[in-house]
Amino acid sequence: MAKYAINNSLAGSQQNMASSYKTAVSVFAGATARRGKIYDVLIGTDGTPADNAVDWDISRMTVDGTGSAATPQALDPADAAMAGTSKVNYTAEPTVTAASSLFQVGVNQRASYRWVAAPGSELVYPATANNGLVLRAKSGGYTSTFTGALLVEEQ
Amino acid sequence: MRNPGGYARIDQPDCAPVELDTFTCAHCNRVTHVAPRARPQDIGGLCKQCMGLICPACVGGACVPFLKRLEEMEARAQLRGALSCSTAPTA
Repeated sequence: MAKYAINNSLAGSQQNMASSYKTAVSVFAGATARRGKIYDVLIGTDGTPADNAVDWDISRMTVDGTGSAATPQALDPADAAMAGTSKVNYTAEPTVTAASSLFQVGVNQRASYRWVAAPGSELVYPATANNGLVLRAKSGGYTSTFTGALLVEEQ
Repeated sequence: MRNPGGYARIDQPDCAPVELDTFTCAHCNRVTHVAPRARPQDIGGLCKQCMGLICPACVGGACVPFLKRLEEMEARAQLRGALSCSTAPTA
């Protein structure tokens, strides 16, 4: 089971946060569908520091939107390329399943946040094409760029 | 927590880091943050059937372990794929 790093500096240009959710990173099963597990999340902002509330969310997606295709980086260089797909810096949001939020946290714009899962407690997506997870954020006051990084294990 | 399912940390300027244990719901896969000294009934519960920690939204619901739900998601997609690939009836 190979592990991969994905973040929204891998492709495209960072998008500005808005009052509705903007997706920074997605990871989903491709044509050769395999399950995947997110076990590490690191999020933050990189615009001018100020005090604003930022709402971060990880939800399930079923249909892709418009984003820049990123190549997940294998943590072990001997591993093969990821069978799943990852896109970053979306300009048109993927279709997110209603009420499917798996992870939600509100933090100050100045803060960085990290979550690490214990083995067996990862966020899992099914081995079904185009089904996966999105890391997205919104803010009523902050309107600049943001960063998101995921570590994913593919089965 | 005695056996946390994860660890969360918030770092911000001029504040001490905030560290929280988390658990991942055994029924819906949602991550719940556990504040220090939180009352067990405030953060969800323990499913007595699968013996997994569950989030507040799943408390009182039927026990459907998340892996079972995952298998159902995959089975539904396979069925849809099989139906869409079936040949059209010939006259």
